Amino acid sequence: MTLPKFEYFAPESLEEAQQLLLNKAEGAHLLAGGTDLLVKMNHGLLKPASLIALKHIKGLEEITFDPKNGLKIGATALLANVAAHPDILEHYPAVAAAARETANVQIRNMGTVAGNLCNAAPSADNAPTLLAMNAEVLISGAKGERRLPLDQFFKGPGANALDSDEILSAILVPAPDSDSGVSYQHISARGKVDISAVCVGVMVRMEGDICRDVRIFLGAVAPVPMRAVKTEATVLNQQLTEEIIEKAGIAALDESQPITDVRSSADYRKKMVAVLTRRALTEARDRALNS
Amino acid sequence: MEQFSIVGKDVPRNDAVAKARGSAIYTDDMKLPGMLFGQILRSPVAHARIIKIDTGKAEALPGVKSVITGKDIPKVKYGNWRLFADTQDEYALAVDKVRFIGDEVAAVAAIDRETVREALELIEVEYEELEGVYDIDASIKEGAPVIHDYCPGNISVNRKIEYGDIEKGFAESDYVREDTFKVQAVSHAYLEPCSALAQVDLDGRITLWTSTQVPYIVQCLLASTLEMRENDIRVVKPFVGGGFGGKMELRTWEFCAAFMAKQTGRPVKFTLSREEEFLTGRRRHPMTLHSKVGFKKDGSLMAKDLRIILDGGAYNAMGPTATFLCGNFGAMLYRYPNYRFHGRHAYTNKPPASAMRGFGAPQSLYASEIQMNLAAEALGIDPVDLRLKNAQVSGDEIPDVATISSCGFIESIEAVVKMSDWKRLRKELKPGQGIGIGCYSFITGGVFNWFNTQYPFSAAEVRAFSDGTVHLLTMASDIGQGCDTVMKQILAEELGLQMEDIRITSADTATTPQADLGAWGSRVTLMAGNAVIDAAKKIKEKLFGALSAFLNANVIYEMECKNGMVQPKNRSKKAVPFGDVVAMVQKAKRGEPLIAHGYYTPRDKGLVTPAFGFGAQIALVDVDRETGKVDVKQMWTAHDCGTVINPKGVEGQLAGSIQMGLGYALSEQFVMQDGKTLNTNFLDYKMPTAMDMPPSAVTHIDTYEPEGPMGAKECGEGLASPTAPAISDAVYHATGYRCKDLPITPEKILKSMENDT
Repeated sequence: MTLPKFEYFAPESLEEAQQLLLNKAEGAHLLAGGTDLLVKMNHGLLKPASLIALKHIKGLEEITFDPKNGLKIGATALLANVAAHPDILEHYPAVAAAARETANVQIRNMGTVAGNLCNAAPSADNAPTLLAMNAEVLISGAKGERRLPLDQFFKGPGANALDSDEILSAILVPAPDSDSGVSYQHISARGKVDISAVCVGVMVRMEGDICRDVRIFLGAVAPVPMRAVKTEATVLNQQLTEEIIEKAGIAALDESQPITDVRSSADYRKKMVAVLTRRALTEARDRALNS
Repeated sequence: MEQFSIVGKDVPRNDAVAKARGSAIYTDDMKLPGMLFGQILRSPVAHARIIKIDTGKAEALPGVKSVITGKDIPKVKYGNWRLFADTQDEYALAVDKVRFIGDEVAAVAAIDRETVREALELIEVEYEELEGVYDIDASIKEGAPVIHDYCPGNISVNRKIEYGDIEKGFAESDYVREDTFKVQAVSHAYLEPCSALAQVDLDGRITLWTSTQVPYIVQCLLASTLEMRENDIRVVKPFVGGGFGGKMELRTWEFCAAFMAKQTGRPVKFTLSREEEFLTGRRRHPMTLHSKVGFKKDGSLMAKDLRIILDGGAYNAMGPTATFLCGNFGAMLYRYPNYRFHGRHAYTNKPPASAMRGFGAPQSLYASEIQMNLAAEALGIDPVDLRLKNAQVSGDEIPDVATISSCGFIESIEAVVKMSDWKRLRKELKPGQGIGIGCYSFITGGVFNWFNTQYPFSAAEVRAFSDGTVHLLTMASDIGQGCDTVMKQILAEELGLQMEDIRITSADTATTPQADLGAWGSRVTLMAGNAVIDAAKKIKEKLFGALSAFLNANVIYEMECKNGMVQPKNRSKKAVPFGDVVAMVQKAKRGEPLIAHGYYTPRDKGLVTPAFGFGAQIALVDVDRETGKVDVKQMWTAHDCGTVINPKGVEGQLAGSIQMGLGYALSEQFVMQDGKTLNTNFLDYKMPTAMDMPPSAVTHIDTYEPEGPMGAKECGEGLASPTAPAISDAVYHATGYRCKDLPITPEKILKSMENDT
């Protein structure tokens, strides 16, 4: 495999990157870790005229946390660093878990969480948890900066809400309530090191054993990571008993819309949506109760 | 066990550091001045007549130096079964027809890869599509589309074995059962995709560097397809990143590199992409196996009737050998007093299946082993006890096929049962956990000469020097399994030298002695090892003669080579350094160098192999009963490979076999639609990774194979067989799902558990 010819830019500030993106217009593509982009280019699926690398922009790799504003993951923060960050491990264990379970060591050392989102694969490991936690993305463009809820970011397989002049500069995740819990569950054909055939992210807020708030997102069972609205309704304001959780699993199975492809049959995916939803709800509940 | 000083030790491999650092030179690393890059144009359709190929635009593209199609090359079919020319069914480039998606239609050589790719897109091929057949049933159906005109029923090989009285055997059985098993294709997935580089010398002779297991076979078949003489072709094997049976034939790119180098006068290199390897590469034969077995109430085996159909894909490749061998493996492990086998090899419009680690054994033994477990359950006998009752032992004879000269099978079963605490775990496991057993036997090289070589099967040349060093030359091919190290160990042991005293040149058909059939069939250690010993003995004879004359003693001593010296046995006071004795031999013959040749070709060893390896393996699994996912927690192995020459090498073979067995059992398969392979990368071809490897414990059973070099026999392929049946049996123990249709996917487990409740 040989890469097609392209121009390469390594701007050192976001403004400079912005300007390049405007100047180069349609043929330009942003490059973070390159673990998706370069594979596509290698296979001739993408032929950008120029690449604008983001990794030389100082500060863009930063991960910051404070209890009031929550977590900020810079656009070039590596999956490996997100997986191992002490604040993320303490306050966002499911975010760390999703990053840790994305692909393999080599990819985690190159790839970024932001890139995983921008690539907009329905199976993106990092999407469901961040969606469940009400994450937003910080976007800078020619007209200035805007914040967009992550659940409005995905537009279809490989398609996101960024305009051609825009750069996703950071992911913002609110500080979790003390009585909430989050879980990420996924499954694939190989035991470990694999792309997810189904993944589920869940956040619940508990008042005693009653679920007062819930967000459930399913990955790889629809064109974009999908919110399981009917499933949420089965658990909201309910005691999270085994019985309710069982019902939630069935609801998730019913509302998921998987396809059969090389990675799994639709039938198996549906069954796994039920299992993983149950497991995610159980873990999220237990984390909320123990927090 | 015999006492050895170098054999049996963990001698480090001489290539390990270079490979770990990335400094080892593989074929694709090589560049020659003026070198052109080549690539193959492959058929996008599974079955079609070629109406027209227009290469005009491609040829006109600047930078393109050669475009060839089937019209431009000698019409010579090839295949490894030269003794039976009617099995040779492949041209280097398609003539008139294409038979699978990926079939080779044309080749381009140009100054760089971009130009090659562009040129490929400019070649216009007009196809008339034909109906395709994609599985065994469709292939052998009455009126099925004919894939090769010479073979109207699509069955290209028929093989029968029969001994005893099968009908009587079943009539005298108390318990008879019949089962049908299906096993899937899997990929060799060697880390180094195929690559070949050809150069023409001043006299028009060709040198080909290629990633191959069989330099000699490539040399011969390249000569015939180019209509040149064998000695005009030199094949050199650089470092090779694994083969597993996938690199043991002449392949199109080897031919094209040589042909185009000759045509253009410039070196030409072809390297396949991983996607090409997965889309079009050789693979393990999918098979349908019907097996009928009969037992007495006490568990004694009475008869077995085995019928196998191999899904061969579009060409024979190594299918004839696989057809032959899976029938022999069906008769192994247990004493079947009455046995009948009928194997058929069917063409389909898919990439050709061929040799792959185990060569018919993983398929055949999967059926044997699962059926033993089914029978054990029905007869109310522990599967281990049923095996022990029927196990083959040293001296057993398979009529007209082989005599088993050494056999540590019973010892292997007993050892692995003890290691795993089988009897207790079989009863005491938690829900979702299971433990299961699988066994194997395998050949140590083949005695058959289908390739029709006029040379010994293995050869060695040893040159001894007066500085105390020796130079070993052998055509044996180290493809990553470590035979360069093993050959040096054997020679060092035999000559009483150290590893660093030995220089080795291997696998170059112009400089190493004729011949060696290659690295396949687990033949190298035994056959090339015996040739090395033969050469070393001839060297010793000369050294001993010279030393005897020098010592001029009044009694005759037995002599030995030990610790770098030559001496009368156990009399180190009379020892003379090895190099000094070499000098004596040379001086006695006016300086003529001390060189000896050794050879090995098996004699009177039946129809199959000079020696069999044996072993047993137990797997412990944990099955997630909600997702159906199988987690292999532990593997225990006890096996008999005769004398262990390099323990680390043997353990490496075991680890690699378990990794391949895990994939075969649980996750690997080609997802195909109408002959097209859909999963063409490691993301979607689910080969287990290092992270999936279970802990593993091993016991080497101490046996001595009289035909083997220093008592050694195979360990490279046999171990590829037991893992799938052991895991399968453990999954049954855990869930009640008995898999007769590999792989054991979570979906199949869940379906079976739903049906049970």
